[in-house]
Amino acid sequence: MIVVPCPNCGPRNSSDLRNAGEVVARPDPATTSLTEWRSYLYLRENPAGWVTETWYCRSGCRRYFTIERNTSTNEIRESESS
Amino acid sequence: MSELEFMSPVGSGHLSTSDGGISLEDISDCTKVLVRAGRGTAAGVHLKVTYGRSRRRRDGTLICGSRPDEWTLLAGPGQGAAVVGSVSDEGFVSIVDISHGRAMLRISGSDSVDVLAKVCNVDLADDMTPDGAVFSGSVAKVTCDLVRDDRDAGRSYLISCERSFGGYLFAAMADACAEFGINVPAGLSVH
Ligand SMILES: [Zn+2]
Repeated sequence: MIVVPCPNCGPRNSSDLRNAGEVVARPDPATTSLTEWRSYLYLRENPAGWVTETWYCRSGCRRYFTIERNTSTNEIRESESS
Repeated sequence: MSELEFMSPVGSGHLSTSDGGISLEDISDCTKVLVRAGRGTAAGVHLKVTYGRSRRRRDGTLICGSRPDEWTLLAGPGQGAAVVGSVSDEGFVSIVDISHGRAMLRISGSDSVDVLAKVCNVDLADDMTPDGAVFSGSVAKVTCDLVRDDRDAGRSYLISCERSFGGYLFAAMADACAEFGINVPAGLSVH
């Protein structure tokens, strides 16, 4: 079990939430290239270590929030960008 | 507008133990009204309670802060129009009578917390979810909205879910109650 701290609901089992994946910067659709847009849609760093992720609190407050998770240890800490 | 006749999705009414340890009741027919409102609106100011808390209005309506900027108003059967009309819809506000769309159970008694702890992963300790607490989570794998609404100084929880899961949720709760002395009627088994 991974305990994920929702800023609204407090600590919750990860089965009550959905991992919406790594945070990636969205390029401006008006000026982006096809390669850059494809990489935004499909390519992720997927490191063994700390990654900034978006989670969706689907059983609780139904809000999205950002945390940092270590993909090797599942340790979780507050995100500097949240 | 007259109220539609309510048809409960739950087949059984009320199960209880003789010692009062557990009471499981289908109260799907109660009025449920969902309000979404921005913080600055008259509705938001009137409803007041924050996410995670509830309060009882003078007319008996239970106002639950069910999500950030979202409230669920609970009242007795057949009061949909009255409850909808009791909240101002001025500004960026949505008020919907969801009575027929959701099932609702009440589980009460000294053993209710132990039954719920078997099937719900939210911390039910007094300091985390005291009387009046409003929370959402998985109950027997169904996403439910819960309110701790103690009665006669005894533990009591309101549990609501989408209508289509109501029959299953009641059966699953009855099954969880079996080890505490509830006789689960034949035909209500989840196994
Ligand atoms: Zn949450």
